Amino acid sequence: MSIAEPKPTGKARRLPILPQRGKVSLFEILLLLVCIGLVAVGLSPTLRDVLLLTFLFAGLALAWNIAGGYAGLISFGHAAFFGVGAYTSTILLVHFNVTPWIGIWCGGLLAAVFGAVLALVCARLRGPFFILSTLAFAEVVRIGALNWASLTGGPEGLSISPAPSLINMVFTSKTTYAALMLGYAVLVYAITKALEASRYGYYLFAIRDDEDAASAAGVNPQLGRTSAMALSASLTGIGGSLFAQYFLYLDPTFVISPEISFQFALLPAVGGLGTAIGPVLGSFLITPLSELLRSNLGNAAAGLHLVIYSAGLIVVMLYFPGGLAAAIGKLARWRPFS
Amino acid sequence: MSVLLEVRNASRKFGALMAVNNVSFSVGQGELLGLIGPNGAGKSTLYNLIAGVLPPTAGEIVFDGKTVTGWKPYEVARVGIGRTFQIPKPYRQLSVVENVMLTAFLREKSIAGARRLAEITLADVGLADYFGTPVSALTVGLLKRLEVARALAMQPKLVLFDEIMAGLTPTEVGVMTKFVAGLPARGITVIWVEHVLYAIMKTASRIIVLNRGELIAEGPPAAMARDPAVVKAYLGEEMDLA
Repeated sequence: MSIAEPKPTGKARRLPILPQRGKVSLFEILLLLVCIGLVAVGLSPTLRDVLLLTFLFAGLALAWNIAGGYAGLISFGHAAFFGVGAYTSTILLVHFNVTPWIGIWCGGLLAAVFGAVLALVCARLRGPFFILSTLAFAEVVRIGALNWASLTGGPEGLSISPAPSLINMVFTSKTTYAALMLGYAVLVYAITKALEASRYGYYLFAIRDDEDAASAAGVNPQLGRTSAMALSASLTGIGGSLFAQYFLYLDPTFVISPEISFQFALLPAVGGLGTAIGPVLGSFLITPLSELLRSNLGNAAAGLHLVIYSAGLIVVMLYFPGGLAAAIGKLARWRPFS
Repeated sequence: MSVLLEVRNASRKFGALMAVNNVSFSVGQGELLGLIGPNGAGKSTLYNLIAGVLPPTAGEIVFDGKTVTGWKPYEVARVGIGRTFQIPKPYRQLSVVENVMLTAFLREKSIAGARRLAEITLADVGLADYFGTPVSALTVGLLKRLEVARALAMQPKLVLFDEIMAGLTPTEVGVMTKFVAGLPARGITVIWVEHVLYAIMKTASRIIVLNRGELIAEGPPAAMARDPAVVKAYLGEEMDLA
């Protein structure tokens, strides 16, 4: 077999136009500038609401994607981590007067512990069995939160005082919240990009694609799965805290419902699993769609917004099985007249 | 010749079936050991015992002075045992070079370093034109070569090849045989399971034969080709090695 010399690796560094794994692209920079612009311009309150939820859910979808897209740990139980984060910072604030600026990180840490526990408990489960276990796990957490009323307020939930206060992370201006949520999404995006470009990221890809082969390459699959789930859970928990700080109220069914878990999984699936830009595109398409349909049609014809929403999802799943990220790549390569 | 791998009285039971029954053999540094036997003889199970996929129910495995019995596959890989899979197990969503980088990481911690090592290894097995190709576009023959490249990119002390010739064209078999024969000179000890007998009989320095979980013969290829027990259990008739 011929000894061909390997290609030179020191290629000229040019900014790619479309997103690529582990590299910053022009598309991403422009998208970030647009997002900053949207925060800065004066939108109507409804639109601002939609905008900040879009950012928040982009971050949450990115967090889910670390486990589901990169490590292949498809989870329908991430609402548990979302809830753990939301409850931790809120309980610390309401019961112990600890500022959410600290509480958020405590929530992230505790959510990481929950994530690691889930990964260890489900260590031997794969495919549908793993997915169903994550769903059950979240239900256990929800029922736990319902019953531990002295701490969580049970079904009545917990409220955060709406008096604006920087130390309590409560603001009157939705612009501030939008900036906060954008900051969160950018943080999770940056972590995702760093992961893609790292040896650890490759370990996760390998575990996802073939555990036996990964193991034969010296990768400890259980360690990879557990750490990926913990990281994903932690970032989801941070998002949960932010959610609680925005709504100033939480109860178990509001923050730990299967619907929330499905939403986390759906956005990356629509946008493109295992890509950094996918969950962002998913959130930019789905979150405004679902919010606007709900607010505009919710009263006129109960349930109609769900029909339109579902029809949209089916179209995406049928025609863009690789998600929006793949569709954009295809479009960029499309040469109709050659 | 110093001993690199020693398998001592290894057994593996599946229920009442003794898949590997009290097998002992050793492999010297720089040897090319052929492992042959009919289907179901226990070759794959024996590989799985060495590679750590299954713990032996009895016996001991010593590699490079360390007792590795019951170690996990990733621990065994880290001390220098590479392997291929009989049915190729590529990472489906990664490119060819990325597939090889994963094992190269055992030698080169940086992404750029691992990529370079992977590219060199791929060029070595004749896949220089396929670095960025998605693995779904590879033919069986190319997938087998990818398996070989993955096992070698970690620069193993010992490599376990599992039927790397199956599905290859006669020309490819010739090229691959020559390639494998050259590995011991590069400091890589080889154990090779193969049904393409003329390839293995020509290159192996020694052959061991398994049948029904037991080691029934051991010796140079020429002797094995005429050994009555081997002929009866596997070959069917004496093999002409000329």
